[in-house]
Amino acid sequence: MTDRTRISRVVLALLGVAIVVAVWQGMISYYGLQRIVLPTPVEVASTLGGLFVSQSFWHDVLVSLREFVLGYVIGGVLGIVVGTIIGERPAIRMVIGPVIEALRFIVPFAWIPLTVLWFGTSLTGKVVLVAYAVFFVMVVTTARSIATVDPTLSRVGTMLGMRPLAIAFKVHLRAAAPGIASGAKAAAALGWIAVVAAEYIGASAGLGVMITNASMSLATATVIGGMVVIGVIGAVVSWLVGYAARVWLNY
Amino acid sequence: MDTAPYRRLAARSWALPWLLGVAGAVGALLFWTLMAFWLKGGGGVISRLPTPLTVGADLVEYAKGTLWRDLAASLQVFLVGWILGSVGAAAAGLAIGQSKTIGAIFGPIVEALRPVSSIVWVPLAVVWFGFGFTSKVFLVGLAVFLVVIIYAIDGARRIPADLDRTATMLGMTPLQRFRALVLPGALTQVLVGARVALMSGWGTVIVAELVAADYGLGARLIAVQQSYDVAAVMASMVCFGLAGFVMNAIFSRFEHWALPWRFHGGAQ
Repeated sequence: MTDRTRISRVVLALLGVAIVVAVWQGMISYYGLQRIVLPTPVEVASTLGGLFVSQSFWHDVLVSLREFVLGYVIGGVLGIVVGTIIGERPAIRMVIGPVIEALRFIVPFAWIPLTVLWFGTSLTGKVVLVAYAVFFVMVVTTARSIATVDPTLSRVGTMLGMRPLAIAFKVHLRAAAPGIASGAKAAAALGWIAVVAAEYIGASAGLGVMITNASMSLATATVIGGMVVIGVIGAVVSWLVGYAARVWLNY
Repeated sequence: MDTAPYRRLAARSWALPWLLGVAGAVGALLFWTLMAFWLKGGGGVISRLPTPLTVGADLVEYAKGTLWRDLAASLQVFLVGWILGSVGAAAAGLAIGQSKTIGAIFGPIVEALRPVSSIVWVPLAVVWFGFGFTSKVFLVGLAVFLVVIIYAIDGARRIPADLDRTATMLGMTPLQRFRALVLPGALTQVLVGARVALMSGWGTVIVAELVAADYGLGARLIAVQQSYDVAAVMASMVCFGLAGFVMNAIFSRFEHWALPWRFHGGAQ
């Protein structure tokens, strides 16, 4: 029975994909759409195949990934540190909490023009932007996870004669780890999108540049191919963060 | 019994967060001002950092001028996209959540589309719809749709078991069940999702306007950036933040009014 439901699930999922491809292809044939408006699925697939063997494509991927990883690590570490301090010390939370809340409403994308003015089209601008985006997600989730740690745990720590710093690191941070991990996953998705968006506005290389250039020269197959690549990388990055967290937390 | 000390304590605990918060804000502004003076002499990469006062003056100037027109243009894009995206997601979510077959066919497709943020769609939207209103509404609608649909599916699927049994006991017809049980549950979740989608929709407005700029706050942001006017760039950013904050506050109020049981810790 379970085998049958599993098989029917796969079949129905494939049916869904088939419907999408059929509608896509059907719209092209029925409306006689131009290739620059909507290329056929086969064309997109062959464009993707062409991208995989081109050197400039891999260069773009590496540029985007490097910007992302650097920004993610910097923003993530700073965010966890500041979030821990805020979560541990209510007085500090009251001082810098409102400032952080106010800045949170200026979404990272609004910073793009400013980072271009300050840092030009260099690597630094994107790293700063990604770090900014990741930082705020991590501060908020870390502070919240630490604030909601079961108070009994802190009391046990105190009873065992642990110093406040030891409690913060050995008890709170560990108890808050699952919350922080889910924040890290959300931050990875946001940071990756921030890289792509920043590359639309001002960059000399990267996947965002690749698809905006393709869009300007109406190479729609390359645009869609690039979108697929960006989506897959985003999903893989987010899965990797989730996997690393699971392994590290020993679930 | 003398309650004065307690009252004083209560007053202090009410005032303390405010005092510290104001101190933090003043400290941040002071830090910003000091940085502005320090970086003025050139040197570092950030060669142009205006003081908070300059940005404030620019904000006032902007508010006297085209701010309201830009804001109206951005809000229009946002609201149309947000409503279309939420309504579409509610309908699709109900269908996917209620019918196992439709869920099995289209659920995986929604899952595959979700990691591709609407921002990735910007270049394609430009090819399809040009730089006008339509392409931005499409992008915002897509962003909102991809967030809200998860909530809608969840709401349509998760009917409390006791209510379900009650419905069976009352001998409700499928249509009655749908109207009395499924729809309210799903719409509640849609409302929650619509609020979560508020910020991602607003962020999409920014990116869409930065790339496909004709009117709006994002178009202004790009225009002043191209004339290297850092103070005006920062003033526009403040406008984006303020608008997002106000919308969030308004919708919070609305949510409290529409779904009071979520906030009073009662059942459900």
